[in-house]
Amino acid sequence: MLLDMLYIVLLVVKDCRSQIEHWKKVENDYESLQDRLRTLPDKLSYDIMVPFGPLAFMPGKLVHTNELTVLLGDNWFAKCSAKQADALVEHRKKHVKNTLDDLQKVMKNFQNRADFTDDLEKLTGDTGDFADIREEVINEEEVTKGKPRLALKPNSKPKQEYLLELEEDKEKKEGDEERTTGVLSEEELWARLDELERQEELQDERYRLDSTDTNGEDTTSSSEEEKEADGGSDVQVNGHQKENGWVPSSITSQMNGTNGSHPEDEEEEDCNEEAGNGLPTIYFSHTAEFKKVRINTGKNTTLKFSERNEQKAQAKRKKKSGKSNGHSPHESYKITSPADIYRVFVDLVNGEPIPRKSILKSRSRENSVCSDTSESSTADFEERRAAFGRSWSHDDATHSDTSDGITEEESPTGTSPRTNGRFEAFTGTVIEKDPLPCSIPHLTIAPPALPTIPERKLEEVGPEAPQEPPKRMSKFKATRLHQK
Amino acid sequence: MAEAIHKKLQSELEKYQQLQKDVSKSMSLRQKLEAQLTENNIVKEELALLDCQNTVYKLIGPVLVKQDLDEAKATVSKRLEYINGEIQRYETLLKEMERKSEQHREVLSSLQQEYQRAQGQAVGKV
Repeated sequence: MLLDMLYIVLLVVKDCRSQIEHWKKVENDYESLQDRLRTLPDKLSYDIMVPFGPLAFMPGKLVHTNELTVLLGDNWFAKCSAKQADALVEHRKKHVKNTLDDLQKVMKNFQNRADFTDDLEKLTGDTGDFADIREEVINEEEVTKGKPRLALKPNSKPKQEYLLELEEDKEKKEGDEERTTGVLSEEELWARLDELERQEELQDERYRLDSTDTNGEDTTSSSEEEKEADGGSDVQVNGHQKENGWVPSSITSQMNGTNGSHPEDEEEEDCNEEAGNGLPTIYFSHTAEFKKVRINTGKNTTLKFSERNEQKAQAKRKKKSGKSNGHSPHESYKITSPADIYRVFVDLVNGEPIPRKSILKSRSRENSVCSDTSESSTADFEERRAAFGRSWSHDDATHSDTSDGITEEESPTGTSPRTNGRFEAFTGTVIEKDPLPCSIPHLTIAPPALPTIPERKLEEVGPEAPQEPPKRMSKFKATRLHQK
Repeated sequence: MAEAIHKKLQSELEKYQQLQKDVSKSMSLRQKLEAQLTENNIVKEELALLDCQNTVYKLIGPVLVKQDLDEAKATVSKRLEYINGEIQRYETLLKEMERKSEQHREVLSSLQQEYQRAQGQAVGKV
């Protein structure tokens, strides 16, 4: 339709142009006529070559040079002098000028329309109504909301307890270590489940490979486990071949198709990280802040996931590890599967990360995730972050056998807590979108990365290598263990 | 059944086309009238520029007939009025024709639908 409009407009413009040309010629003719009229009465008679038919001329004389018979129009003539004729011509010229002006105006209007249509078309591209909307993702490791996953079992109840869906808070991170995860919508949860499952699979391998910490591990593993326990897990995790575990975020419209891109990093608004397919691109940038993910890290503390921190973490992590992609926005807690959650929420018992039986349960004070974080966060925070994407698996791997053991441990334990958790009363508060007051103990899964960034940092700074393995277990695990 | 509808459709179509032609003819006539209108306006203005001394001629066939300036002015004014009247007439005529063509269009579309239905049925039956 745009094309048609454009065509019509262009036609009109062309028509206007031709008409303008015509009238300009007329005007020129009148001008030369006026000149002739002015010079004609100078002489009484002129010797001229009179045209004699179409092919011959004859010498003759032009007399009565001041007597002119002027055609007034519509078969009316008037005899007048040259000067009078001149006046008449002037009057006509006025008319011609008016016409010309009108035409010019019309042409300009239509030209504008044509230009506009042109621009519009360019904008929309040849594809018509499609435009590629891109948002430049500066920090790829941003919080991503839960990836939309196809729930193969739509009837299965997604676990609400985990706050798998980390909703992006618009609050600024105040540096608290509380995190609340929003409640994912069902579909998203399923999507997340799928994703986490896949990630879990990958993680096992990664554990061996990666040497970064596993803040996210626990969380992701726990989340994975939980999700598995949920019985769901037929859900396909989309695009989660990514190593990044990421805290399931909330309702963002994560693209399923963001394989390879960083779903986690995507922000709320449907930032499509994937390249457009040659369509006109609209660059979009959203300014929402990440929501904080609050995770109950046991000790009635919730880790607040600040996007900013996560972004920072992510950025750092990214730098550190080239691999992470689509890392969890949350710092080191990349929860991409239920298992991750468990991994993250590790109870720290005697410095050992012990997987928690149920992350739903509030951990004792000592096993707060925060503290666990310390455990798990003792690992280099950066590393963890970096690893987060690789996540839990990496962490495990780096950590060595303990981690592996833990991972394995987690799985079974994860299942049980998961199942337990599934059927246990949820004693905490599910943080959906409203950030819960910190004072309320809630069972939320705080991606380990989150909790206390300062804490973690400390911890990270602290014993790194040696502690990493234990840390990898993550607070969640520890908490879990402790709880058990 | 389909055949009858088909025939009806054809006749309606023809009528509609005829109507359209009339409409376009009227349109062109009207446009001509409008051109004459502008021309006569110019003549009127130019006559006003002249004074009594100039003789005014009217071209009737191959003959230039002398006219009085005032007479000429009057004639031109009358002609102008006449042209305006004609334009009005044509306007109404055009509107009427447009309305009729609209009706015909509707009839045509309904007939077409019927025809298609009949066709469908025929095909179905077959």
